[in-house]
Amino acid sequence: MSAQDNLTINEKKVLLALQELGSAAPGELEEKSGLQVDAAMQAAFLLEEKGLASVSEIVLERYALTGEGETYVETGLPERQIVDSLEGPTPLDELKTRFSPKMVGIATGWLVRKGWAKIEEGVMLPSGKAPAGKDEAILSTFGGEAKTLEELSADAKTVKDLLKRKLVTKHEEKFRTVSINDAGTALAAEGIVLEEEIAQVTSDLLKSGAWKGKKFRPYRLDIRPKPLYGAKVHPYRRLIEQMRQIFLEMGFTEIKGDVIQSSFWNFDALFQPQDHPARDMQDTFHLGSKTPLPAEYADKVGAMHEYGGDIDSCGWKGKWDRELPEKNVLRTHTTAVTIKYLADNPEPPVKAFCIDRAYRRETIDPTHTPEFEQLEGVVMDKDMSFADLLGLLAEFYHRMGFEEIRFRPGYFPYTEPSVEPEVYVEGLGWVELGGAGVFRKEVTEPFGIKEPVLAWGLGVSRVAMLKLGLKDLRLLYQSDIDWLRKSEVCRI
Amino acid sequence: MPIITLHYEDLEKLTGTDKETIIERVPMIGADIERIEDESIDIEFFPDRPDLYSVEGVARAMRGFLDLETGLPEYGAKPYEVSISVSEEILKIRPFLGCAIVRGVKFNSESIKSLMDLQEDLHWGLGRNRKKVSIGVHNLSNVKPPFRYTAVDPGFEFVPLDYTEKMSMTEILEKHPKGTRFAHLVKDFEKYPIIFDSEDNVLSFPPIINGTLTTVTEATTELFIDVTGLGEAVYTALNIVVTALAERGGQVEFVRVVRPDGEEMVLPDLSPETRTLTRSEVNSLIGMDLSVEEIVKQLERMRCGAKALDDETIEVKVPAYRADILHNFDLIEDIAVGFGYGNIKIKVPETYTVGKSHPISLMRSALNEIIVGLGYYEVMPFTLTSEKVHFENMRRPKTDDVTYVLHPISEDQTLVRTTLLPNLMEILSLNQHRELPQKIFEVGEVVVNEKTGQHVAAVSIHPQSNFTEIYEVVDALMRELMLEYEVKESEDPAFLEGRRADVYVKGKKIGVFGEFHPEVISNFELGYAVVGFEFDLADLIS
Repeated sequence: MSAQDNLTINEKKVLLALQELGSAAPGELEEKSGLQVDAAMQAAFLLEEKGLASVSEIVLERYALTGEGETYVETGLPERQIVDSLEGPTPLDELKTRFSPKMVGIATGWLVRKGWAKIEEGVMLPSGKAPAGKDEAILSTFGGEAKTLEELSADAKTVKDLLKRKLVTKHEEKFRTVSINDAGTALAAEGIVLEEEIAQVTSDLLKSGAWKGKKFRPYRLDIRPKPLYGAKVHPYRRLIEQMRQIFLEMGFTEIKGDVIQSSFWNFDALFQPQDHPARDMQDTFHLGSKTPLPAEYADKVGAMHEYGGDIDSCGWKGKWDRELPEKNVLRTHTTAVTIKYLADNPEPPVKAFCIDRAYRRETIDPTHTPEFEQLEGVVMDKDMSFADLLGLLAEFYHRMGFEEIRFRPGYFPYTEPSVEPEVYVEGLGWVELGGAGVFRKEVTEPFGIKEPVLAWGLGVSRVAMLKLGLKDLRLLYQSDIDWLRKSEVCRI
Repeated sequence: MPIITLHYEDLEKLTGTDKETIIERVPMIGADIERIEDESIDIEFFPDRPDLYSVEGVARAMRGFLDLETGLPEYGAKPYEVSISVSEEILKIRPFLGCAIVRGVKFNSESIKSLMDLQEDLHWGLGRNRKKVSIGVHNLSNVKPPFRYTAVDPGFEFVPLDYTEKMSMTEILEKHPKGTRFAHLVKDFEKYPIIFDSEDNVLSFPPIINGTLTTVTEATTELFIDVTGLGEAVYTALNIVVTALAERGGQVEFVRVVRPDGEEMVLPDLSPETRTLTRSEVNSLIGMDLSVEEIVKQLERMRCGAKALDDETIEVKVPAYRADILHNFDLIEDIAVGFGYGNIKIKVPETYTVGKSHPISLMRSALNEIIVGLGYYEVMPFTLTSEKVHFENMRRPKTDDVTYVLHPISEDQTLVRTTLLPNLMEILSLNQHRELPQKIFEVGEVVVNEKTGQHVAAVSIHPQSNFTEIYEVVDALMRELMLEYEVKESEDPAFLEGRRADVYVKGKKIGVFGEFHPEVISNFELGYAVVGFEFDLADLIS
């Protein structure tokens, strides 16, 4: 493959033109190459990138008279007009009647600065000397054309003063010169073959077969295209779907329930003592409404709280209020949904999971939101034990991509034994992730659940923070569209 | 949950081993290390273990866990010399009273601070902010037994702790920092609780404040402890405080409490509760095959008394300071913790079941595929919102099917949404500075008349968005869902007249679509045309 195969037809035309001209201005290049000036210059820049030519640029500064400047060429500068009219000390007030006050204002400063006159107590005293200045010389040199400093034989300082006085303006003009270099000359010397190139494969070309034997204009590989973003599901959804998938693969049934739950199902059914701080207004969203107690369970749950019911437990020792459990709340955990499901399905085996939103009365900040997704799994079957729970947790967390897991004692009011699983995260060390345990007898007994219930749960947003590298949970809910656009499908 | 500060010097002395060993092992009895400092460590213990809220309690547990001293701790108590009577009146106000004396205590500034912290943590953990339990610790040398626990008129005056002038109990509730904080616990009663000595000097105004007379200082060696409250938790709290002081070398002495009916109690009652545990219930819950000997060993390491009655049954003595042993399951957890969770051989349950998605999830995943295919990004906004966003900005009248929360955190989140579109508009509003077009959708929960429902909604903003665009999207969605639908002119004020339509499936209205009213667009501070749709999925999910 010859080096010229990398050149477009326009580049070849410009190279040929340069071969003749050596160096050329854009206009000359246009004429010689037969291309529009823009196309010719674009090709020239590409030749420069390919090391076959160079484009140099000089900026030429020109000055021209303003309207005011032109007037003064005719009449003389205001200070010249006034000094010429002075025959001796003259009050400024008198001058202002002869000339306009504005003109006197302009002239006074320059008269004093140039040493042509002094002002004392409102009277102008001419010094008697008023030699022609450089500025006057420059003004008279223009002759109605824009000129460079050299053409005006002007010094920069005087021109600066004239610019300040708005008597002249400055224009910049760029002049480009394209020059062929040795590599370009050598390539051109090989003989450039001009042949037509196809830019776009068209229907006509295909039908006619006219493309055969033609060259297709090559595209550049070294320039990345503009980023293109495809619509997609939310990255957080993808994580939730991954967790659902793990549960489904492990044979769990997905369950769902109401956002609004009675305190009975949210707290009492889970053996949460009635004076537990989590039930306070500070922590839980209470609603004004109530749900009647479920008659088939209320007495049994109450007895469990008061004295441990029929099992060998002492309960919480104290009166179980029957009104408190009727109060509706926004569910504070998905466990409310789980225990209801178990009450409806007390026969083993049950393997169920729920991933849904829970509500806690938390002030919004980077690591707390009043609503968040919670994941929960339960297994109820004969002969289930704490060791089975640890096995389930290890399997579940491994499938979520956490290689190392360890178990620490934990505490939850409705499980015993309880465990806090920790996973090892590179750069963070051991991170507590969720909680688990075997449901207490005080929880299962009133609902006729005879077999052990293994349960575990975790805050999905915590996992999202780890997996998506988020510093602020709010981004999940109040999403920046650019973040959504740029979030990679394969990150999770 | 309470965070306990443990000073290494004290902790090492009381435990009898070095701090490194303690720091390494303490999480494995159930604790989260919060902070490790040069001189001390901050640890969070679980709310069911108030006996660990002091350095003395932690040292006691760690000595067992580290095999330095196992089995039930014995605290011999001397016979009572001091009595306290309980009056009839106080029974209606704050009926439970537990008392004890501890003599020969040697305090320094750290151990006094540790005792005060323990008191405060117990007030929180067992006492529900002093409501159920409040504790007073007194310098016994400054008062003369016998004592009286009774109630007096709020006008009664004495000098409270931290003050030098007499104040009436009413004034204490109004002015004293502790008084204003805990006034709600007594102010509805006609008389207030008080503990007097035999010369009518005030020891305490429970559950508010002690008298200044019995202030405990580093020089104090003889202590009188009162715990008042509304239930039996007062005895547990008393036992926790007394045994912590005994761990530090104090000599416990009984106090006789005489009830108005003449019944007498001698407190503190440090006798352990006895429970019977079987080897099979332990092994079936933990999922192991531990021998009776192993079970006894682990219980003793957790500071219980334990004895094998035969090769199946174990008699367990539960220390009187443990508040968390409601059921045998709680003891079995102790055995598992003693054995070490990391040493339990894990199993994989063999329960055979078939996995099943919920119909709502199946619907969601179909909708996600369809709508993402149409170029929309999924969003997952909050479901709590405000009347301003939900109604006012949308030009929609308030409806009575909305659920309001009683105590919102902020005015931005006062209700649970009944529709999704306002939230989507809000997200557009947050993205004003981002490149157009922006197209977003949500399949999400709403709560209507307190019932949870599922909706789908989408919005699109760009300079050329119009009714035709959204009609095409709705039409495509209906086609993919294989639904026959009809449209009729809508009256939804969120949309422009003549550019809005209600959608009907099988004669039932399921939602609306159209071009948003310019006022709605401006209310959300947007600068281009916005179109959108929202449907109720109730009848579409099967």
